[in-house]
Amino acid sequence: MHDQFILFLGALLKQTGLQELWWGNLVMIAVGCAMIYLAIAKHFEPYLLIGIGFACIVANVPGSDLIRQGGLFHYAYQGVNLLILPPLIFLGVGAMTDFGPMIANPRLVILGAGAHLGIFVALVGAKLWGFSIQESGAIGIIGGADGPMAIFVTVTLAPHLLPQISVAAYSYMALMPLIQPPVMRLLTTKQERLIRMEQPRQVGKLEKVAFPIVMAVIVNLFLPPVAPLITMLALGNLLKEVGVVERLSKTAANGVMNVVTIVLTVAIGSTMSADTFLTVSTLQIVFLGLVAFVVGTASGVLTAKIMNIFLTKKINPLIGSAGIASVPIAARVSAVVAQQEDKRNYLIYQAMGPNLAGVFGTAISGGIMLALLRAG
Amino acid sequence: MLIPDTLQGALMLSLIDFFLSFVVIAAIGLVLAAFPWLNRIAKPRVKDPIQE
Repeated sequence: MHDQFILFLGALLKQTGLQELWWGNLVMIAVGCAMIYLAIAKHFEPYLLIGIGFACIVANVPGSDLIRQGGLFHYAYQGVNLLILPPLIFLGVGAMTDFGPMIANPRLVILGAGAHLGIFVALVGAKLWGFSIQESGAIGIIGGADGPMAIFVTVTLAPHLLPQISVAAYSYMALMPLIQPPVMRLLTTKQERLIRMEQPRQVGKLEKVAFPIVMAVIVNLFLPPVAPLITMLALGNLLKEVGVVERLSKTAANGVMNVVTIVLTVAIGSTMSADTFLTVSTLQIVFLGLVAFVVGTASGVLTAKIMNIFLTKKINPLIGSAGIASVPIAARVSAVVAQQEDKRNYLIYQAMGPNLAGVFGTAISGGIMLALLRAG
Repeated sequence: MLIPDTLQGALMLSLIDFFLSFVVIAAIGLVLAAFPWLNRIAKPRVKDPIQE
């Protein structure tokens, strides 16, 4: 009886995950807990970090069936793997975004390209570190400061790097208020930071309705590799701007967006198992991501300063860093830094122009990269 | 794959991509600069009461 009891207990123990548990799992469970803590206590991207952190914890409990084939988290990941979820996120983003500031000041869209030098510095840095060219491209796109775009490019070029790249991209986006201001101050004089910009013109309704249609045509014509993302962004925006399908627009901005966010965060977190995440390459990717954000911020500010050489009505170079994308965090950072110099200088609307152009800048860079690097 | 998996390939890709990004986004800027014309179409045509 006693022997049988021990035997059954041993058999039960074998079915649990305890025997497969190693210190890496414990580290990643701690990482998951840290993410949830940062989301709750510091409000760092809570909508993303809660789901990612929780799924990260579950993925590192050995024996969990959720991440194995047939498990619920496995199916959530298929939404990422089949490139369904990132375009749906863009549908919601489009339904929430007013592109008026970008339409009102077309001169400033150039900053949406200028602030993306970080992508290419990180790309070359990754290649120097021994990553393949596809992996380097995926790492570089962290500098585009656009979560869904980073996921989209990574899944296509280097799917095995998805957890590291998505975590780095979203973490640095949350940390932008800490990363950007020192770079912005370093590259501008007090005089430049005090520049006030005139309020842009009012944008008409027909312009706002035409914008998503025109953008969808341009992107599908010239950048087919990223067309799924921008097309859905355009559709979401069209639903918002036409003003006759409020129910659909609200569903895209709220219901769809929330459901997809839950599934997407769970999918990303479920890929963060210790054996794939605790590697030297993770540290390299995290470092290169930081380099990409710093260089991107700097190149945006410098592009604005170069533009000022040719412009009669000077622009405040602080809005240059908003061209990195990460809507609306980067625009908010520009506005805050400007207000620290002059409390009456309200730059948020002007900064939103390059900020929104940055989304297209990242899409263009990603699209060209995919066109040149996709196998076959 | 069009770009070789070398450092030279990475540099080439970066140069092409950065340059083309400027070209495409500048083109988008040009298209947007033409957008105010749309407001002329959208303006309601009010009939001149004197002519009536």
